[in-house]
Amino acid sequence: MFEFENTAIEGQVLAYIPFGDIVDYITPYTAILLTFALVFTIIALISKPERQVDIAFGGDAYYTKDISNKQMKFQRFMAVACGLATMGGILSGDVFNFALFTAMVGIANIGIVASIKNKHILDNVFEYGILAMIGTLPLFGGSAIILASTGTLSMWILFTSAVCVPLVAKLLLVIGVIAEGMAPVYVAKAEITRAPGAPYILMVHVSSLVLFLRVIEIVISM
Amino acid sequence: MILPIIDEYSLGLLIAFSCVLIVFFSMMRETDDLHRLLLTDLVEIVALVIIALVGTDLSEALILPGLVVGIAEILAMAEIYIEKENLVRAPERFLDIEIMHSAPGILSVILLIYGIILSGFTGGAVAGLGVLFYFLCKKSHEKTEIIETVSGYAWVCWVVAFITFMAAPQYWFFAVMLAGTGIFAKVAAKMSIVGTMRGNRDV
Repeated sequence: MFEFENTAIEGQVLAYIPFGDIVDYITPYTAILLTFALVFTIIALISKPERQVDIAFGGDAYYTKDISNKQMKFQRFMAVACGLATMGGILSGDVFNFALFTAMVGIANIGIVASIKNKHILDNVFEYGILAMIGTLPLFGGSAIILASTGTLSMWILFTSAVCVPLVAKLLLVIGVIAEGMAPVYVAKAEITRAPGAPYILMVHVSSLVLFLRVIEIVISM
Repeated sequence: MILPIIDEYSLGLLIAFSCVLIVFFSMMRETDDLHRLLLTDLVEIVALVIIALVGTDLSEALILPGLVVGIAEILAMAEIYIEKENLVRAPERFLDIEIMHSAPGILSVILLIYGIILSGFTGGAVAGLGVLFYFLCKKSHEKTEIIETVSGYAWVCWVVAFITFMAAPQYWFFAVMLAGTGIFAKVAAKMSIVGTMRGNRDV
């Protein structure tokens, strides 16, 4: 019943889950992304946090940073939430749902980093958070323009050749995802990546990478 | 039919994007962190405006999740702001404002009298509010047994009124007044207990 006309980009649908008119689906392309996100979510769930080692120069002293149990629990929760939101975004067959999951990834990313009580890191999380909040404008704006110009948000209809999505909406969608949690924007703030707590910090990068691959697939298919 | 709608939509979009430009410009100029946080809320509002411009039932349904995301983000950011500026301060004394030293007597009397005039459930609530306010303001180590006793007599009034209704319906007016008084005392007593729950050692 559900199949794509154009299978050059992501292949034919392997399976779909219809929730009313919102039909989530999985293709060979998204299956790879899903596996990737799933593996890293499980890693975040079961592994112990790393403890950064600081070395005092001029002597042979070194010490490991202490990660409290409370902080570890919060970071782990946020990392798993981030992974689940990423998987939701990958499976989504609806542009607005994709936008919502992306926004949720943004919030979870802020949470992962903000659990570290360090003035410099918190300063940078604040800057990043403002960026993520601004990012909801192009994200939701883009999907609203798609809705206004085509009358639907379902990818099943948007991916057919009969429907033409305006370029500005595609651009806004991509900009929104970039602002919401994209690695290039993130890495520019070195203090954030300096925050202790791998593998939870890793989740920030995994989610952004996977979501970016997904949004590119959506935009090309439309 | 469709053409004028598209025109209005484009016009609305144009206005919305000029708002976006203004907000972005102001965010560029602003240096205070708190003000920037407030300005980002403006951005969220404009995003909702763009969704609302579609003007269908679907767009109406999409505004709510958009709003929730915006609020969630601004709450998280506000927490981070409080944390990074070290603005957390434990209150030394719970709810200590000047009016609570000067007003309770007269306000409680006014509320109590007005409650008696109203009588019944509403009156009980008003009078109870007066008593609650009094106990809340004055540090009281009062004897809560009195409230319990009043509450007990209220039950008695009620039961007597109920029996009167059943056994002697011709005295219904007496029963109504009795029940009204009973519920008045009951509600007032219950509400005044709330005023005593302030973490004293025997509560």
